[in-house]
Amino acid sequence: MNSNASQSQRRSSTFVFEASGLTKDYDDGQVHALRGVDCKIAEGEFVAIVGPSGSGKTTLLQMFGALDRPTSGTLSYRGESLLDLNDVAAYRAHEIGFIFQAFHLLPTFTAVENVEIPMFEDNQSRTARTARALELLKSVGLEQRANHFPAKLSGGERQRVAIARSLANSPSVLLADEPTGNLDSENAVHILDLLVDLHRERRTTLVLITHDMNVARRASRAIQMTDGRVVFDGDPAKLSSHP
Amino acid sequence: MTFFNVVTRGLQRRPVRTGLTLLGISVGIAAVVALIGLSRGLLTSWTAGMKSRGTDIVVHNMRGSLTPKPFPASTRDRIANVPGVTATCELFVDFMSIENAELMIVSAREWGCFAWQNLKLVSGRMPNDQSERAVVLGTSAADILKKKVGDTLQLETAELTVVGIVEGGAFVENGSVILSLPLLQEITGNQGQINAIDIRAAQGMNDADIRKLCDQLSKLIPEARAEPAGEHLVDTEGYRVINAMSWGTSLLAILVGVLGVTNTMLMSVFERKQEIAVLLALGWRRSRIVRMILLESAMLGLLGGIIGVGLGVVGVHFLQNAPAIRGMLRPDLSLNLMATAIGIAVCVGVLSGFYPAWRSSRLTPSLALHG
Repeated sequence: MNSNASQSQRRSSTFVFEASGLTKDYDDGQVHALRGVDCKIAEGEFVAIVGPSGSGKTTLLQMFGALDRPTSGTLSYRGESLLDLNDVAAYRAHEIGFIFQAFHLLPTFTAVENVEIPMFEDNQSRTARTARALELLKSVGLEQRANHFPAKLSGGERQRVAIARSLANSPSVLLADEPTGNLDSENAVHILDLLVDLHRERRTTLVLITHDMNVARRASRAIQMTDGRVVFDGDPAKLSSHP
Repeated sequence: MTFFNVVTRGLQRRPVRTGLTLLGISVGIAAVVALIGLSRGLLTSWTAGMKSRGTDIVVHNMRGSLTPKPFPASTRDRIANVPGVTATCELFVDFMSIENAELMIVSAREWGCFAWQNLKLVSGRMPNDQSERAVVLGTSAADILKKKVGDTLQLETAELTVVGIVEGGAFVENGSVILSLPLLQEITGNQGQINAIDIRAAQGMNDADIRKLCDQLSKLIPEARAEPAGEHLVDTEGYRVINAMSWGTSLLAILVGVLGVTNTMLMSVFERKQEIAVLLALGWRRSRIVRMILLESAMLGLLGGIIGVGLGVVGVHFLQNAPAIRGMLRPDLSLNLMATAIGIAVCVGVLSGFYPAWRSSRLTPSLALHG
């Protein structure tokens, strides 16, 4: 996964993620979080994953982010098995940008410092890190709040810092776990607009978990999950007919 | 922001807990500085005292105790004329409770020997002869006993006159009650007995020559032992006990510090489980997380060490004025001791961080997506 050759090979793959027969069991097989998920996500897609709590959405996102390993099945990233990654940390740092529902900003670091966090494994100089972080904060409209601690930021501002952080290493995929779930409706719209803009401008693949059908309908494709299975995969406009 | 900033912010997260942990380590390190400083001070003070008297070799019999055991004064006759020995001085040195002072150094010296020559009168006079029922007091001893020239001093059953106050050129000398040897032998019923012989070696002898001379003298006097001045204390049972007790107490205090830091770091890791999982999800390597925890822990040790040295130095100044040891030793607060104490503190920090760091490395990044 480290060489330029393998990177260009990966980028040439049609699909960013390809999952086949993906299962995930917890508690010695007592809990089946995923029960044979098959799905493919193409380069530059905006995919919304919807479904009730416990349907396996977050578990699937964890698999895409190499935060956990499946019990069985195959999962590849740009044609290369995610289960055989040599350097998982590098994959998470450079290929994936995570956005969490609860923002997960580090409370003792300022906004700009939070954005710098993912860049530590990149051997950049301190000034280069800070400059990049400020540039990203500017891109999400928070350059004036760069030196504020998370506690001094509103929910919407925190999520914008988290989005800036997710872009720190210019990932090709953004994985967002209910990014508007902790926000009021006005802020939720702003954050969703920001994510859609970033997806378009940077041509990043965006995989977003949501409970909100209005959010899901902004995606180019929706995957609906129930009891660890994909029950719908298609046009978000048709979601309402597939509860 | 540097990685160092990341580490320090981790400590700032819970300032009260960090402060209390620092206090815990500091107390342990202060104990090291104070106790080891005092025990080393005992050695250096007595060595300095002997050097000020111009003593190169000490003949003694104190293997089993801190104070030397008596042996016949005639021992001196067998070594006085050995080549390399230029002067000898018979002594009887003891620790005695005098009036209100719990423990004083009483140093009885052969009348007219070189051990009297380093004493410089501050006030009064020296005793007229060895039979005069008089003492001279070192400046600190006079201060502790609250005596001045002309006062009387009760030594066991004898009433002696303080005829002079002297400056002995060393802490131990200044803390001593000094009198003629026959007088103390009479008072304590130790006629014909001494417990030390100070020896001046010939000029130009180096350490190796002095050691050789010591070996030669020791062979001649099986009832005692000749050793270079200062070294004779190191091998004694008494000094070893003091040293062992100092280190024992210090290690106990350090152990408490280790447990304190381990507890703090473990709590910190447990509290930050999700934060650590987020760092892993953002691409931090487990090795970096481990380094972060270990550095936080080491930093606690370093800061605790620095504060502990400060506390130890302050504490030692109080301790050296304790009635039991006042005037007997000056703590040895060398840079070496302070650096050792800080080094111990950093080791305590790193050691305490291992388990929490290992626990942090076992956390799964998927925790980041929960809660």
